[in-house]
Amino acid sequence: MNRTLRAFIRKELIQTLRDVRMRALLFGAPIIQLTIFGFALSTEIKNIKLAAFSQPRDAMFGRVTEGFYASGWFARAGYTPGEDPFELIASGRADAVLIAPKEGLARSAERGDGKMQLLVDASNATKARAVEVYAKNIIAAAAAREYGARGEPALKFDVRVLYNPAMESSMFLVPGVMGMLVCLITIILTAMSLTREREMGTFETIVSAPLSNAEVLLGKTVPYIILGLADALLVVLAGYLIFGVPVRGPLWQLALAALALVVTTVSIGTFISTVAKNQQQAMLGGFMFLFPSILMSGIMYPVENMPKAVIAAAYLDPLMYFVRLIRSIMLKGGDAHVFWTNLGALALMALSAAGFAYKRFRQTLN
Amino acid sequence: MNGFNIHRAYSIARKEVMHILRDPFTLALALGLPVMLVTFFGFAIDYEVKNIKLAVSDRDNGPASRRLKEIFSSSGYFHLVESDPGAGPVALVDSGRAAAALYIEPGFSKKIKGGGSVEAQFVLDGSDNSKAGAIMGYLPGIQRSALSKLAGTQVREPFSVETRFLYNPELNSRWFTVPGLAAIIIGLLAILLTAMTVAREWENGSMELLLSTPVRPLEIMAGKLAPYGALVLAGVFFVYLLSRLVFGVPFAGSHLLYLAACLLFVTAALSQGLLISVVTRQQQIAMQFGMITGLLPSMLLSGFIFPVESMPRFFQYLTMLLPPRWFMAAARGITLKGADLGELAVPFLALGLLSAGMLTLALIKFKTDLE
Repeated sequence: MNRTLRAFIRKELIQTLRDVRMRALLFGAPIIQLTIFGFALSTEIKNIKLAAFSQPRDAMFGRVTEGFYASGWFARAGYTPGEDPFELIASGRADAVLIAPKEGLARSAERGDGKMQLLVDASNATKARAVEVYAKNIIAAAAAREYGARGEPALKFDVRVLYNPAMESSMFLVPGVMGMLVCLITIILTAMSLTREREMGTFETIVSAPLSNAEVLLGKTVPYIILGLADALLVVLAGYLIFGVPVRGPLWQLALAALALVVTTVSIGTFISTVAKNQQQAMLGGFMFLFPSILMSGIMYPVENMPKAVIAAAYLDPLMYFVRLIRSIMLKGGDAHVFWTNLGALALMALSAAGFAYKRFRQTLN
Repeated sequence: MNGFNIHRAYSIARKEVMHILRDPFTLALALGLPVMLVTFFGFAIDYEVKNIKLAVSDRDNGPASRRLKEIFSSSGYFHLVESDPGAGPVALVDSGRAAAALYIEPGFSKKIKGGGSVEAQFVLDGSDNSKAGAIMGYLPGIQRSALSKLAGTQVREPFSVETRFLYNPELNSRWFTVPGLAAIIIGLLAILLTAMTVAREWENGSMELLLSTPVRPLEIMAGKLAPYGALVLAGVFFVYLLSRLVFGVPFAGSHLLYLAACLLFVTAALSQGLLISVVTRQQQIAMQFGMITGLLPSMLLSGFIFPVESMPRFFQYLTMLLPPRWFMAAARGITLKGADLGELAVPFLALGLLSAGMLTLALIKFKTDLE
C-alpha cells in the first residue's frame, strides 16, 4: 500500500470521527440499543392479564386458576365478579377470561366433560396463539393433579435444549441485533457521506489528486470498513460483557464473517451513492435496501416460514447469511459446513458488490 | 411581523412541493415503500411456526415408533428428515439442517405393547428461541395424542378448554400486522423526510437566508412540514386500500377516529423529525439519528411484534416515550376492536402530549440558536 493512500485513509478516518455526534452515533448508539433490546425484548409472552369467572364458587376451578397465576405467564386482571367478560376484554383490562362450566367444574368433570371456556383477545394474533398453548398445557397439568396421573404416562419426552438451555432471549437476539446494527450503520454512513461529498463539490478536489480510480475508491471505503469492523467488535464485546452471550466458535471465523458482511454493505453503500443525486435519495436508497434485508434475514421471523418466492429473495440477502453465520459461530461453536457454505455465499456477494461498485464508481468519476 | 401568517407558510409549502415534484425518485420511493412493506408483511410473514425440520433417528423401527413419527408429521408443524445412519440426528441440528431431533431407542414398540412406560428423547436447537419456544408449546399436545393412539389407553380428559378468539377468530396474522404497519411507515418516513429536509436547509445555508426574510420560524416549520405530512398520509391511504382490498383486513371502528389518530401520530413524527434536524443540522447525522430513534424502536419496542406487557417494568415505562407505542394501541383498538374515543383516551392524550413536548423543544432550540 503506498503512502499517499495510507495518508488518505487516515485523513478520512479522522474526518469522520472529528464530530462528537458522529462518534456518539457510531460507538454509543449501538451499545445503548443492544442493551435496551437485549433486556427489553423477550420471545416469551408474559404478564397476560387473566380474569376467571365461575358462577357458583368452586374450589376445583379456583385451584385451576391458581395454576394459571403460578405459571409465571399470567397475571391477575383487575375486575369485580359479575362484570361482563366481553367488556373486560374490549376495554383492555383483561387479555383473557377463563369461564367455568355452568354447574361448576367439579361436577361437570365428574361426568367426564369439564368444559371451560377461554375468551382471548386476538387483536394481537401471536400473543393469542401463545395464550392458547399455555392455557392448554396448564389445564392438562391441573387435570393430572386433580385426578392423579393414573400411573406413569406411557410416553414421555425427555426434552433437551441445546446451545441455550435456559432459553434466554438475549442469547438469541443479541447476535441478530448485532448484524442489524452493523448493516445499518455501514450502509448509511457510506452512502450518505459519499453523496455528500459530491453534493458539496469536494469530490472534484480528490479526483484531481494524483491517485488512481481504484485508490480513490479504496481511500473512501476502507475507513468505513474499519469503522464497521470496530462496531462489530464493540457489539460482540458488549454482548459478552453485559449479557454473557458466549463466542463458542473460533474468533477467526467471527472476524471473517464480519469482514465479509462489512465489505458487502460498504460496497452496496458505495453503489447507492453513485446512483443517488442528493443525500435524500441516498437515504431512501439505503432504506430501500435495509428494510427488506432486515425483514428477510431471519432475525425476527424464521425464514423457513415464508412463502417460496420470498425464500428465494432471501437468498440474495447478505444479512441472512450473516445471521446464520453468527448464530452458528457464537452459540453453536461454528459447524464447518455451515461456516464454509454461508461464508462462501457472503464472500461471493462481497466480491460482486465490490466489483459492481467499482465499475459504477469509475463511471461517475470519469 | 407578528402573528402567524398563513400565506407566508403557504408559499414555503409551495416551494417545498415543487422541490418534491422535481425529484420523482424521492416521490416514488416515499409512496412506493409503504406498498412494498405491506405486500411483504401481508404475504411473507406468518407468525405460526410451521415446517419445522425434525431429524429422526428411529432405532426401533417397530409399529409404535412408526406411529409416533406419523403423529409428528401429521400434526402439520413438523417436516421429518431422516438422519444419516452414521452421523446421528444431533449432527443435523449442529449443521442447521434440522431444528429438532427425535431419538427412538430400540425396544420402544415392545415396551409400549407390554404396557410399560417409555421415553423418547427430543433435542431442540436453542439458538433460535422463537422457534424453540413454539416447538416446546406443541410437544404436550403431541404427547397427549400419542398417548391415546400408541398405548391404546383411551385417556379420559376430565377437563377441556374451548378457546374463543375475539376480534380475529382465525388468528390471521395479516389482520394484526397490517394496521400496525401504518405506525412504522408514518413514523419512519415522516421522521426521516422532515429531519433531512430541514437539515439540508441548514447545511447549504439557505436557512439563514430564509430567516433574514420576514417569514417567522413557526411559518417556516409549518410550511416545510405540511407537504411531507400530506405525502406520508397519502402513503397511509395506500396502505389502507391495499389492506382492505387485497388482504381483506376488517375495520371495526370509526374511520374518522382512525384518521384523527393518524393525524395526531403524523404530527408527533414530524415534530420528532423537526427536533432531530434542529439539533443535528446535518443531513448525515440527522439520518442516523432518525434511523436510530425511528426504525428499530418502532419495530421492536412499540408492541408491533413483541408485546409491551412482556417487557420488564422499567422498559415498559421507557416505551411510553415512544409515539409509535401509543399509535399502535390506538390503531389496533380502532381497526380490530372497534374501540371508541373513551377507551382510547390514554393513547390519544399521550400522542398529543408527546408532539407538543417535542415541538416546544424544537422551537426553543431554534430560537436560542438564532440569538
